[in-house]
Amino acid sequence: MTTLTTTPDGTAARRPVPPSAPAARSTPRQGGTVLAVPALVWYLVFMVGPMIAIFVIAALHWPGMLQPVSFAGWGNVRTVLDDPVFWDAVANTAVQLAVAVPVMIVCAYMLGYYVAQRPPGHRVIRYLLFIPGLISTPAKAMVFYAALSPDGLVNGALQGVGLGSLTDAWLASPSTALACLIALDVWSGIGFTAVLFAARLNSVPGELGEAAQLDGAGHWRTMWTVHFPVIRDYVGVVTMLQFLWTLFGSAQHVLLLTQGGPGTSSTTLSFLVYQKAFIAADLGYSQTVGVFLFLTGLVGLLAIRRVFRQTY
Amino acid sequence: MKLGKRWLPAHVLVWTYAVLLVVPLYYFLASAFKSNDAIFDRPFAPPTSLGLHNFRTAFESADLGLAIVNSGLVTVFSLALTLLLAVPAAFALARSTGRTAGLIEKVFSLGFLIPTFAALFPTFLLAAATGLFHTRAFMVLFLPATALPLSVVILVQFMRTVPAEMEEAARLDGASTFAVLRHVYAPMCLPGIATVLLLNFLTFWNEYLYSLVIIGPDPAQRTVQVALPTLKSITGTDYGVLTAGTVLTLVPVWLVYTVLQKRMQQALVSGAVKM
Repeated sequence: MTTLTTTPDGTAARRPVPPSAPAARSTPRQGGTVLAVPALVWYLVFMVGPMIAIFVIAALHWPGMLQPVSFAGWGNVRTVLDDPVFWDAVANTAVQLAVAVPVMIVCAYMLGYYVAQRPPGHRVIRYLLFIPGLISTPAKAMVFYAALSPDGLVNGALQGVGLGSLTDAWLASPSTALACLIALDVWSGIGFTAVLFAARLNSVPGELGEAAQLDGAGHWRTMWTVHFPVIRDYVGVVTMLQFLWTLFGSAQHVLLLTQGGPGTSSTTLSFLVYQKAFIAADLGYSQTVGVFLFLTGLVGLLAIRRVFRQTY
Repeated sequence: MKLGKRWLPAHVLVWTYAVLLVVPLYYFLASAFKSNDAIFDRPFAPPTSLGLHNFRTAFESADLGLAIVNSGLVTVFSLALTLLLAVPAAFALARSTGRTAGLIEKVFSLGFLIPTFAALFPTFLLAAATGLFHTRAFMVLFLPATALPLSVVILVQFMRTVPAEMEEAARLDGASTFAVLRHVYAPMCLPGIATVLLLNFLTFWNEYLYSLVIIGPDPAQRTVQVALPTLKSITGTDYGVLTAGTVLTLVPVWLVYTVLQKRMQQALVSGAVKM
């Protein structure tokens, strides 16, 4: 979650060279760039190197850690594309992204607008919105496990209000397992995203909204036709990050809550990468799906950027 | 702008979500002090006693005490290494106007778009190749790398605000580059350093998947996030113990959040506004 907080600033104003300093003593900023080398090397070794390795391993036939490795070329791609499990995972991931990301972003934007208006109790709300950003994935999974298991909170509440017939083994039922995972994404995603939007909306000049109100626009119209265009590119950046987190991060939720089951009903692409690598020990297959996941991420990013391109 | 009557649905929806955020936490806190029977009979009733029985069971059955120590060690050393790498790098990038520096900054900025999960298996191979598989040491080396893009970008923004005259004055007094960093830039960028520490504390303490795969399930080494889910299988459906364990792992985060609440919210929010 925390990677959401800053975004590349790229070309922030460089400090102007002080005009007062005469040529005599103009050696102030040297011996600098070398200091960036350790961080860069660290980053290349631990992040970029493994990224590249994904593409190499994807072209290998490697049926287990201690097994002999051979070159497979496009073999893995063919195996993956012929595997119905892969297509189940594609479908599940598509559903997950198509539901979770738009719901999350739209709700978070409206919630952020609400908080930015400083209604009564906005401080309490703001405090609470940070909660999902603070707790770890296993803890979130425990919350959902306690809520959704057969004798958990949701079934208890349903029985309490006389709707006992609706109770279900939510996480173990093929028709609801994926929905539970999406609910977890949305539940934990809205809060922190809303805080980001609220902060951004606070930096929009107040006169803008007031002018629109004088013209008779209600909050609904102000929210979507006045404020939204102003922070459109920011919404785009946040959407990109949430898209990536949903796409890649679902492996942990699936692992902790449903193990991809029942059957393949909650197997997502990123869980498939994990499962094939560490449970099924089919390493070439796993990393081929990894490449596919990576490309999906890239295409998704470009698409989102296009959609949210500043239009004025 | 005034919020009229038509805002009623909005109020209701927002507070419903707020309740959805709070109820699970309340349920966890209350259940941690209750027996299974009490949890099932009246899930929302406050606990009748504050006995620490569940906490003790959670501690013993999953070795949570040791796991908390492990998590603490990994977090602290990773934070130290992150600062050691990121502060000089940000210092260099903020002062330099060369093309190389611009390129390096771009590389770090793009790092935001690399989800760490993607390279789980190759990283596992790297751990095996360096002989650090199943050690906490590899996590201490690895976690800072994942934190560098965010940390460097935040610190560069802070260091750009240090006036150039400060450095010139120090230079006139014969200060070396290192002395400039240590005595001019570092003290003036303390808020930025605090931000980086807080954000990364959260990420490091909460890290799950890499810890699971690389440190592994050995109780002597595993972190608290890896130990926590094992309660589910160890205790079966003893919800009291499960919730007590979860509450325990949240305590350090809540402590930091409560003590530094203003600072933490500011950190998260100012970072966002700065884009």
